[in-house]
Parts: sequence; structure tokens; C-alpha cells
Amino acid sequence: MKIENEDMLDNYIICQMCSTLHEEVPIADGSRACCSSCGAVLYHHDRRLIENGLSLSITGFIFFIIANSFPLVKIEILGHEQFITLSKTFVALFENEFYIVGMLCLFLIFLFPLMIFLFNIIIFALLKLKIKKEMVKDLLILLGHIKPWSMSEIFLVSILVALVKLIGYAQINMGLSFWGLIIFVLIDLYITRTIHLSEIWMLRKRIFKKGEI
Amino acid sequence: MIEIDRDKLIRCPICEAVNIDKSDLNICRRCDSTINNKKESSTQKSWAYLITAIIAYIPANLYPMLETQQFSKSESSTIMGGVVMLWEHGSYPIALVIFIASIVIPISKFLVLIYLLVSVKHPIGSDKKIDKHKLYYLTEIIGPWSMIDVFVVAILAALIHLSNIQILAGTASTAFALSVFFTLLSAHAFDERLIKESA
Repeated sequence: MKIENEDMLDNYIICQMCSTLHEEVPIADGSRACCSSCGAVLYHHDRRLIENGLSLSITGFIFFIIANSFPLVKIEILGHEQFITLSKTFVALFENEFYIVGMLCLFLIFLFPLMIFLFNIIIFALLKLKIKKEMVKDLLILLGHIKPWSMSEIFLVSILVALVKLIGYAQINMGLSFWGLIIFVLIDLYITRTIHLSEIWMLRKRIFKKGEI
Repeated sequence: MIEIDRDKLIRCPICEAVNIDKSDLNICRRCDSTINNKKESSTQKSWAYLITAIIAYIPANLYPMLETQQFSKSESSTIMGGVVMLWEHGSYPIALVIFIASIVIPISKFLVLIYLLVSVKHPIGSDKKIDKHKLYYLTEIIGPWSMIDVFVVAILAALIHLSNIQILAGTASTAFALSVFFTLLSAHAFDERLIKESA
């Protein structure tokens, strides 16, 4: 295999599931390319990636705020009403001196999801404005590091499991934040599925190549 | 023009860029992060994290995960005890979810990582490389789901703290959370290039 320079390697992609090497081919707008040996999605083509990415991240961020500002679940047990918020789950752990689990929960279900959406917003906004090439790079690297550690969807399933455990002991009412969290998780999953990090990297390359700053 | 070997191309784990494997010191041409530059140390790191995780998994199963205090009567249950209790109460789906998340996933992840780490050094039989890549990918995907039980305990502990009924997290939750954390680190430290080379 011969290439002109190392930079030309950007035309190639390695499947994240089976590690097969592929050459990128142009595909129609809105479609996606799949690996020929295992079927995993390799990349998408979205002409309006910046606009879509920016609007999705802002929407997700708003729902993240909603998910954090109201009670997730309210229960009535022996005539007492109790509720939890997202932050109360790890604060309660700290109060009971479970610092390690508390720290893990704080990062996995609060800080990392928050950082991912904030970074996405900043990255897409900077790309839209075509400024701060280096900052985009730093944020993308950080994003690559923390992305595997965000566990909102797992937390959502955990809430459901915890509630099923309580059926029969208590009266359960879903709070506003619960629905906010569901929509946040759906948006999060949609972004992870449709916008791969390498696509943002390529977008960055294209944008800053046109007008060298 | 440069001539490159197709098998010498690797993917940067951070930014997914395709890089040429220079075998000694690999710095990603796009994001400047180092791509496991010493294969030997990556295997050792992976082993170290994995052994820590397995050790932490022992107290996670022996100590109580959940402590229920009801009218000054205290009851505690381990992970397995909780599953059995749920099963006896007839909540089969939840018992299964907890069983899969806290027992099946961690143990199968240990076994898969041990298999991968051993097999890249000593190839066993004629296993195909594509299976190993998929195996690794799947453990990466399902791994975090074992956190379910820790989150459930955190939610219950935060939700139920009345004067006469109180649920407290148990010692096992710390051990279990650490075990999951180190398993994830171990999987991240594993160098996928080794699968390719051993094949």
C-alpha cells in the first residue's frame, strides 16, 4: 500500500468493532457507511453536522438541567413523603461516609455527562465561528478520554430497578426530572450513535484548512 | 510517496485516527496522545488492574451490600442474598437483572480479559482474530452495566431514610464499585494491537 504522506491516512478508517482497515468513500448526505466484515457503522455523512450537533447538544444540555433541578422520584412510605434528586444520590453517600462510591457516582452520573455536553456545545460553537483551532483540539482530546465514562443511561435503568424493588412497600410518583432524564439519555444515545468523534476531527480539519489562521 | 504495510496501521484510542505503527514510540499524528508505546507494560498494567478488580470482587460478595434498619431491627444482605430474596418474593425480572449485572457480567468480564491476556502471549488452538476483536469490543460495551447494583443501592439509600425505616449502603458497595472501576481500567489498558500480532 502506497500513500503520498502521513496526512493521507485520514482517508482510511479502522472499524472499532473488528479492526478491519477501510478506505473512506464518499457517501450520500444523511447516509452511513458500514463495515463490510462485521456490519458496524463506520462513519456518517452529514452536511449540516455543525448545526445538528450544536442544536442536539444544547437541547440535551437543557434537559440535563431539568433532570437536575427537580425531584426524580417521590415516594410515600408509612405516611411520610420522600424524594430524591440526581444530586441527592451521591450527596447521601457522602453523608454516610461512603466517599469512594460517592466520588464515583458524582463523576459517572453528574460531572462526566455534564462535561460531555458542555464540551460538545463549545466545540460545535467554535467550529461554527471558525476560531480557536487549538482549543477545539484540546476539548476533543478530553472528550475522547471521558466519553467511555459517562453512565447516565445505566443510572436511568438503575432508577427503574430501584423502583420495582419498592413496589408494594411504598406509593411511587415520578417527578418531572425523571422525564427530563429520559429525554436527556435518549439525546445522549442519539448523539453517540450518529456523531462519531472522528467525524468532528475531520470537520475540524476541513474547516481550518480553508482559512488558515 | 511512502510505502506502508497494511497490517502496520493502528487506530488511536482517543481520536480514532489511523496511524502508522512505529512499534516503539507511537504518538498520534492528530491528537498527540501516546498510543500504548510499550506493549509489554500495557499487558502488565492490564494484568495489575485485573487482579486488583478480582481481589476487590471477593469482599464485594462477602460483605453486605445493603443494610435495612426497620424499627431498630437491622437486616443486611449480600449481593447473592439480595438476588435470592428477590427471587423468593417473585420479582423474577429484577432478580435476573441484578444477577446478570452483578454476577454474570463481572465474572464473564474477568474470564474474557484473562483469556485475551493469556491468548495474546500463548495462542491457544486456532482461534480467529476477528472473534477476539469482537469479544474485546463487547466487554467494553457491557462492562459499565455492572454498575447498576451500586446505583440502585445509592438510590435506595438516598430515598429511604425515615426515623423507623432506613436503608444504608453496605461495605460491599465500595468494594464492588472499585472492582468495576478497575475492570474498566484493565480493559482500557489492554492493547488491541496484541490481538492482531498474535493472530
